[in-house]
Amino acid sequence: MTEPNEQQGPRIGKDEWVARHGDNRDRRAGVAGTIEERLRNVPWWAWLALFTGIVCLLPIGFESGYVRRIAFDTVIFMLLALGLNVVVGWGGLLDLGYVAFFGVGAYTYAFLSSDKFDVHLPSILTIPLACVVGGVIGLLVGLPSRRLVGDYLAIVTLFFFQIFLTVTNNGENLFGTDVTGGPNGIINVDPLSLFGRELPVSADGIFNVAYLYVALGAFVVVYVALRLVDRSRTGRAWRSLREDALAAELMGMPVSWLKLMAFAFGAAVAALAGTLVTALNGSVFPQSFEFPLLITIFTMVILGGAGSQAGVVVGAILISVLLEVLREPGDARFLFYTLGLLGLFAAFRLSVRLAVVLGGTLVFGLIAHAVAGSVDDAWTAGAGGDGGRLADWAVHWVIVPADLAAWVTPVSYIGLVSLTLVLTLLRGWTRLALLVPTLYLAAFVWENVMLPKPEPTRFVILGALLVAVMVARPAGLLGEKRVEIV
Amino acid sequence: MDTFVQLTLNGLTLGSVYALIALGYSLVYGILKLLNFAHGDVFMVGSFIGFGALQLLGGSTDPIVPVWLLLILVTLAAMAGCAVLGVAIERFAYRPLRDAPRIAPLISALGVSFFLAYSVQLMFGSEQRDYDAFSLDGGALFLTGFNIGNVRVPLLRIIIILSAFVLMVLLWLLVTKTRMGKAMRATSHDREAAAMMGIDIDRVIVFAFVLGSALAGAAGVMFALRAPTAATIGFIAGLKGFTAAVIGGIGSIPGAMAGGLILGFAEAFTQGYISTRWSDLLVFVILISFMLLRPQGLFGKADIKKV
Amino acid sequence: MAGTRLLELRGVSMAFGGLSVIDGLDLHVDEDEILSVIGPNGAGKTTLFNLVTGVYEPTGGDIVFAGESIKGLEPHKITQRGIARTFQTLRLFLNMSVRENVMAAAYGHTKAGAFRSILRTPGQRREEREIRAAAEQRLAFFGERLTGYRWDQPAYSLSYANRRRLEIARATATNARMLLLDEPAAGMNPKETHEITELIAKLRDEGGFTILVIEHDMHVVEGISDRVVALDHGVKIAEGSFEQVATDPRVVEAYLGTGAAERK
Repeated sequence: MTEPNEQQGPRIGKDEWVARHGDNRDRRAGVAGTIEERLRNVPWWAWLALFTGIVCLLPIGFESGYVRRIAFDTVIFMLLALGLNVVVGWGGLLDLGYVAFFGVGAYTYAFLSSDKFDVHLPSILTIPLACVVGGVIGLLVGLPSRRLVGDYLAIVTLFFFQIFLTVTNNGENLFGTDVTGGPNGIINVDPLSLFGRELPVSADGIFNVAYLYVALGAFVVVYVALRLVDRSRTGRAWRSLREDALAAELMGMPVSWLKLMAFAFGAAVAALAGTLVTALNGSVFPQSFEFPLLITIFTMVILGGAGSQAGVVVGAILISVLLEVLREPGDARFLFYTLGLLGLFAAFRLSVRLAVVLGGTLVFGLIAHAVAGSVDDAWTAGAGGDGGRLADWAVHWVIVPADLAAWVTPVSYIGLVSLTLVLTLLRGWTRLALLVPTLYLAAFVWENVMLPKPEPTRFVILGALLVAVMVARPAGLLGEKRVEIV
Repeated sequence: MDTFVQLTLNGLTLGSVYALIALGYSLVYGILKLLNFAHGDVFMVGSFIGFGALQLLGGSTDPIVPVWLLLILVTLAAMAGCAVLGVAIERFAYRPLRDAPRIAPLISALGVSFFLAYSVQLMFGSEQRDYDAFSLDGGALFLTGFNIGNVRVPLLRIIIILSAFVLMVLLWLLVTKTRMGKAMRATSHDREAAAMMGIDIDRVIVFAFVLGSALAGAAGVMFALRAPTAATIGFIAGLKGFTAAVIGGIGSIPGAMAGGLILGFAEAFTQGYISTRWSDLLVFVILISFMLLRPQGLFGKADIKKV
Repeated sequence: MAGTRLLELRGVSMAFGGLSVIDGLDLHVDEDEILSVIGPNGAGKTTLFNLVTGVYEPTGGDIVFAGESIKGLEPHKITQRGIARTFQTLRLFLNMSVRENVMAAAYGHTKAGAFRSILRTPGQRREEREIRAAAEQRLAFFGERLTGYRWDQPAYSLSYANRRRLEIARATATNARMLLLDEPAAGMNPKETHEITELIAKLRDEGGFTILVIEHDMHVVEGISDRVVALDHGVKIAEGSFEQVATDPRVVEAYLGTGAAERK
């Protein structure tokens, strides 16, 4: 039956080269392709080591306590993101009470290492204990997941969050005893004590770098541990659960138990993060564990790519830095324009369209500014407020009135949101044409509405990011593109 | 006895608002099987739109139209604005995720909820807004009324309870007597089959969002007539509406009404007899109990899924 | 031991609300035999599978496997006892590799927990190697089609027929004693159907599996079955060899309608 020539040439369906043809075609041409290929072959622990090394060197490069504190906070965010990744990314569960486990860890540490109940256990005990407590409570909270479908489980976790908030906020009078200190929290919490020695929180008023290293150490341990679990029987079961929970159950995998495990692991990691923060702050307050924090961590995970550990770490860093930059109006303005330009470059590459859009927006703005200024001086008399060269330049382009009429804020903001949404519906040159005034309006809204109010601005951006990533690129930055058969 | 009557009155008023919110949740969940976390924030936006409309019409101390017309216009404005908002949310945040895994639109809904709440805060600040209904027509809304025993039943409450009831009846008629209503019911049973029968699923879904959001807008106005509103009330209000929907049986319209009333009474009586601090927690306890013990609610049918 | 009843359904009923899908069904599968279940659509065949695998709990009657009742057990427990299945509409873990699909099914009879995995104990590492080798062996059972480079390919890249084979391979990896194959030949061309028929026989002869098959293609049923059971509207209407059942007037009537039996 075999033809004499059958051995020569690719044998469709049987030849490995043919099978890999798709991958070969996807590879980018030339230097970029080779670089990408090489990078993809770098082992994960090399990336981790490199990253850890950079963070370790950070305090040497930056002496300021401010930078070190930001680094610490970012590492905490990274830990929280890793934990949520286990629950959402690997277990596929919507845990809206995740922040409560963060709080459980914090309060447990405070209970065990403070004057509150006069218990002063060493950190080598309290931290693992807090993790265990977090994990156990995670198991308990996850128990209803056996009987409830995804959306309902979200409500149960929210319920747990509500219990946590109520108990911590009203805990100064729980059946007559002061358990959690209520809104005043618990203060005078011991700092970390390792190997018998206490680590002072600050030396000469400067943040003690040792805390950054401890947090970093915890991060590395958790990252590696989770990766080892992911590459094992349990990780395989979690992946199967994600793919098709019913098939997984019928192939002998105890789906409910696996979900519980994911819950518990995530909770334990969150609790760990809670202990570290509490030790550094020397106190714990219920106000630290609010809903916006939950959304922040969710955005980190979704942006980075749920299911990918490296991804959520990247997401955590990006969002953490973003939030920090948004605190300072001067920096925030700089960030806005930089990101805006980068975004345009990414969208249009170096092309005629880019020139058209950039030039058009510039011209449009200058004209608008001139017109507004000529109608009424006060309309463009507002200062950039916070100095900096960029502020001075911007004021000449963006219309910044001296006094903003009350109606301008909502109208311009709603107008911007509507225009942006409409833009997603258009194509071709109409889209470019509408893009120009929209960009200018964005700058206007940024200067006049958002910069003056950093607090709601940061959350508006987070909320918008969350929706945008889910809709446009659900795999996030580093998540795997999944094939779903509907 | 007087406390009891007062609390019952509170429960009725509260319950009417919850019922309207619950209906919106129920409508959307029935068709899309999606918990629209943003629904509560639509309710909140409704109260703000109403406030804006009120100001445009002269404010509560010096309105340019008679009070009854004022109330109608404000409510209509909120309903219209919220309907548009609901359509936009569906179109941009949920429709692209219709075939994605269940968790995706839920996360998107969270994002929308967050975005709405803080957008309102960005535009209008975080202070409370008071409709100051007491100033309307020299307090007529509060002074006119009748008594039950020692308890005053002001006109305003009567208006709220009656209008909520009227809206619910209208909705019920819409869903049971019109073709679009039938299409909605068909789609909630089996989306694919409905599509194959020639029903335009997109239009049905948009319609559900329009109705649900409009009702939420109306609820927003009714709520704000009696209590100050703020940018942050949305999420918890939505959750309470969802609880009401679950109690009554999600997907069932009379269920949403019943659930709303029950929840309203439960909350009113807890606040009256126990304390306000624990009433939010109580709502959750009721919700969880129903979800675990009787997920189909009082009027729903147990969901039979064939594999 | 051939001849003993491995699976037994005693008076099993299944009703959803008021709708009775299976009514008082008595059915048994002997060890090492291949039993085919046939019947028109809606006869309750897939419901039967769901009952045996624990997806549904029967509203009446009992299900006994290897002498012990499995009624009310959770599905993964039933699988661990020795029953595995494939699905009418394929349910593979599409984004996982071919090998990983099969390795995943070994969960039920392996035991390295999360903590041992973190510590990478020698026991855990050995078990991982064994799982991997076993998976490759299971896949090799299916001949050339699922071997070599294919092991690392994602499941979604496989052709339809290979996906069906993979699903069966995955089921065998649970170390089950009994396989439930739900329309294994659905959507296959004649050549593939022939291969599947040979494969099922091979599963019993060389693999030692007892097999319960739902199938519509009568050629397959004829080719593999030791016994055939016909269902209609949740009730057994015929049982016996293929010839007996195929010519049973009640079966003909169920498929072709009243009067067909007389005309035939």
